[in-house]
Amino acid sequence: MEIWRLPISASQRGKLISAGYTSLSSLSSISSSDLARELKVSESEAMNILKVASHSRGSETSNASCSIVEGAQSAWDMLHDEESLMHITTSSADLDNILGGGIHCKEVTEIGGVPGIGKTQLGIQVAVNVQIPNDFGGLGGKAIYIDTEGSFMVERAFQIAEACIEDMSEYNRFLRKDFQECKIKMLPQDILENIFYFRICSYTEQIALINYLDKFLSEHKDVKVIVVDSVTFHFRQDFDDMALRTRVLSGMALKLMNLAKRFSLAVVLLNQVTTKHTEASFQLALALGDSWSHTCTNRIVLYWNGNERYAYIDKSPSLRSASAAYSVTARGIRNSSSSCKRIKMM
Amino acid sequence: MTPQSLLQLTSQKCTTGCPILDRLLYGGIPCDSITEIVAESGSGKTQICLQLSLHAQLPVSHGGLAASSLYLHTEFPFPFRRLHQLCLSFRSSNAHHFPVNDNPCDRIFVQSVHSADHLLEIMSKTDPFIENSKNQVPARLIVIDSIAALFRSDFDNTPVELKRRSSLFFKISSKLKALAKRFNLAVLVTNQVVDLVGPNEGINGLRIGNLGCLHTSGRRVCPALGLAWANCVNSRLFLSRNEEVIREENEKPNGQSCDFVKKKMRKLYVVFAPHLPESSCEFEITREGLFGVER
Repeated sequence: MEIWRLPISASQRGKLISAGYTSLSSLSSISSSDLARELKVSESEAMNILKVASHSRGSETSNASCSIVEGAQSAWDMLHDEESLMHITTSSADLDNILGGGIHCKEVTEIGGVPGIGKTQLGIQVAVNVQIPNDFGGLGGKAIYIDTEGSFMVERAFQIAEACIEDMSEYNRFLRKDFQECKIKMLPQDILENIFYFRICSYTEQIALINYLDKFLSEHKDVKVIVVDSVTFHFRQDFDDMALRTRVLSGMALKLMNLAKRFSLAVVLLNQVTTKHTEASFQLALALGDSWSHTCTNRIVLYWNGNERYAYIDKSPSLRSASAAYSVTARGIRNSSSSCKRIKMM
Repeated sequence: MTPQSLLQLTSQKCTTGCPILDRLLYGGIPCDSITEIVAESGSGKTQICLQLSLHAQLPVSHGGLAASSLYLHTEFPFPFRRLHQLCLSFRSSNAHHFPVNDNPCDRIFVQSVHSADHLLEIMSKTDPFIENSKNQVPARLIVIDSIAALFRSDFDNTPVELKRRSSLFFKISSKLKALAKRFNLAVLVTNQVVDLVGPNEGINGLRIGNLGCLHTSGRRVCPALGLAWANCVNSRLFLSRNEEVIREENEKPNGQSCDFVKKKMRKLYVVFAPHLPESSCEFEITREGLFGVER
């Protein structure tokens, strides 16, 4: 129990142990403000404790990280990392709610639906929202948009960017009446400049680009989201060798997951819907087959319910299955305007 | 591989020739994108295609593409007479763009297509065709009228054949999109409709786009070629026609009376498009062409 050896007061030691900090390594990844909150002490006290802890850790002969394998992290550290991760809002509060705050970084999210349900709209909205500055709760990052179908219309992206800036100005006006300096200096043109747009015309180009992204991302470290619209289009042609297709797809998925984890960004893959013929009837399923469905971390299905658009969490390691209504407006993705906005928990 | 600058990427549009329709479509038919027009026969699909082939020749300042067009037709015969009729009124309303000896019909290249494989063959020949046309008037519009006719008879209704048909859709669509991107073409495709009969509609009853169901001539219909083809196009427009009974007030010698008159009501709907909201407008077909009606 290394905490016993720390030169801190007995009351501080007692607070540390009762809060669960029994070893020095557990203090390695926490910030002073979090520690102050957990121990219910002042921030300067917490900073002192951390300083003492890192000092004594540095003088120890053993390795600071008690990991068994190089690069392994304890689950505690991972929990901290996860809690500090930001989410990319979708501009619809209901949708953000079921997503646990928005699109998660460091994860691959697959979004699928019938044509016309709003996949491209959601993709553009995410590419714009990732650029919301930190002051407004966003990531302040840039976006990569890989267009395989030609659905990206610049004028629509401009419209959505304009609406996003207007919303930020509204927020500014209501909540920060005294801070006149926090005026929004962003223009829609700036938002469009921060979207790196690639147009792909074949599956070989798609694979080549995803291989190239490694280099691109090391040069552009501020990219926080990659949107692929859509990931399936070029793979639904005649592939003489289906095993090759499966190998290529899983290789691509692995690379994207690696990119997400290494560069701490979100990967959003838009997928199409196809019919699965089961005996006499048909069933709707996301394209690319069963092996592909294992490769994504999260999966959201967009569908029509009457006259409303709904999103359903189909697969997620941390989120509960739920559906929420949203709508596509001139300003982008927003909450559905219908009066019954209850979130259905399944 | 460098990203394209979005600020330099402007989506050019080809005017339809009618300001009301252009307003609905935010400028016209977009380039570098496949637009599909779905309607039952006799609704005006071919009219729009012919009208667009003519208006594509207008200079860019007037909403055109300053380009010739390639018209691939699958249904026979090609409406030459109607094209000439439209050409005359097009010439007279745009006389300042076309010298006296110039015939806009010279810049519409017509090719008949017999089957899906024939279409793929033609598309491989289209590359050099468009390259060569750059010397005179570049070809910037491809019209396929109609895509449905190529697929309705060649395939059986078994899952294996349908899968083969689907992969052909993606192959054709992929080639068309590659052409559209390379030469910045506008691609217009027309499609037919299938009836929805009975309570068990199956996959055809699946809602795609802004309209819960498509109605024309008093029947429920859905676009042909199914869900796979719907994934291949960028935008879909639907033309409907209905006979409406309207009450008209008439002045008669023995006082006012009202007659019930049957009127043909034609409407254009946006089913789905990445840049257009849900909207519709009424239109009519006259000798001069297809024009929107403001009510």
